[in-house]
Amino acid sequence: MRGFELVRPATLEEAIRLLDTDDPTVRPLSGGTAIMQMMKTGIFKPSRLVSLSSLAGDHSAITLDDKGFLSIGAMTTLAAVEHSQVVLQHAPLLPKVMKRLANVRVRNAATVGGALAHGDPHMDLPPVLAALDAEVIAQGPGGQRRIPVADLYAGYFETVLQRGEIIASVSVPPRNGCNSVYRKTTTRTADDWPALGVATSLGRGEGVLQHVRLFASAATERMTRLGSAEAHLRGNRPEAKLLEEAGRIAAQEVEVIDDAHGSAAYKVALVAVQVRRALHEALQQGSEQ
Amino acid sequence: MVCNDMNDKAAVVRRIRFRLNGRQREAQVASHENLVDLLVRLDLFGARESCGQGLCGCCTVLVDDIAVSGCLTLAQLVDGCEVHTVEGLAEKGKLDFVQQAFIDEGAFQCGFCTPGFVMMTHELLKRIPEPSEPEIREYLSGNLCRCAAYPEIIRAVQTAARNRPDPAGVAGEHA
Repeated sequence: MRGFELVRPATLEEAIRLLDTDDPTVRPLSGGTAIMQMMKTGIFKPSRLVSLSSLAGDHSAITLDDKGFLSIGAMTTLAAVEHSQVVLQHAPLLPKVMKRLANVRVRNAATVGGALAHGDPHMDLPPVLAALDAEVIAQGPGGQRRIPVADLYAGYFETVLQRGEIIASVSVPPRNGCNSVYRKTTTRTADDWPALGVATSLGRGEGVLQHVRLFASAATERMTRLGSAEAHLRGNRPEAKLLEEAGRIAAQEVEVIDDAHGSAAYKVALVAVQVRRALHEALQQGSEQ
Repeated sequence: MVCNDMNDKAAVVRRIRFRLNGRQREAQVASHENLVDLLVRLDLFGARESCGQGLCGCCTVLVDDIAVSGCLTLAQLVDGCEVHTVEGLAEKGKLDFVQQAFIDEGAFQCGFCTPGFVMMTHELLKRIPEPSEPEIREYLSGNLCRCAAYPEIIRAVQTAARNRPDPAGVAGEHA
């Protein structure tokens, strides 16, 4: 690892000022678990890291507003999300996902904001939060804006965040009777980076699927919404044949890449299977309630 | 060992103050040094950098009572923090109840990973005083033992849970 300057702003505004530059070697650092690995392997050589650690006090709150929206501060650690009773009650999928997301030490350090802003398509939280219709609240030199997590990624390790913009918090809407599932396929250990992540959220009414969200990640260059599969499901009765068709359509529409976690051909086959299973699982959850 | 193989021309060296195993310490730290580098420089060899990616747990230390991978922690960021390593668990020549349990159950062969397992076990027992076997397996899944002493390690954690002195006293050890 090469030397660099490490600065620790005390406020979000100061951090934004420090990051308001065109220099790509100036980057924010939150939990550091992902960026440290990029620095150690020489993929990323910062000139200056803006540590957000001093902002943890003001930006790690988990709150619920009177309309049932869950707000999670960007500096909240994954461990805090995992053990939060409020999260368990209002977004039970999140603590469940944590069990197989890296390990206890990584979850103790890694933050929700970092997991979203890093832009690595292998991250587990982006498809999960996208399926939950979550939005990030980004704060930048020009003020604040809300970005759906579904629209956060422009490409491989690339977000739509503008110069100087930092994710300040994440807002998760109420579930409204929907059931959500994340299916993670790893090809090494259970808690490894996924070869494929599939997240879905389903809501039924009058015997048909009314609310359908379906996302794939890890096997793709960036988190991808499976729009054709969603359209095939929406408005129809959730029968086994329909779910299987949705899996096949998803496998056709998704652009899968080869990497150390498996070949593209293998992962295309996985998409069809895991989409079908995720849909079944979500429906089963719904019928148990 | 710390800086000689690195391009530290651009490094900004800063003096940090932190508590290490209960003692106030000061050190000159370069921006790119990680916490294991710093501990080694301070003659503490219990936390070992092995995988360097936070996967193996050999570098587990407690920062402000939270288990982290020392290899993924920039040393300058422990400025003002409380750091605990395996060396601080008991006074010189003695063993604490977790270390003793690992010996009683023969929970290691080469011992390279043991300090990390011991520190993780401390955090586990603080969070779950009487963990079930699945809870132990889940909690320690991020610690790797290449000698594969896993069955003995699980027994050691159960023994440690039984022999744990007094929860208040344990918290006091870390305070």
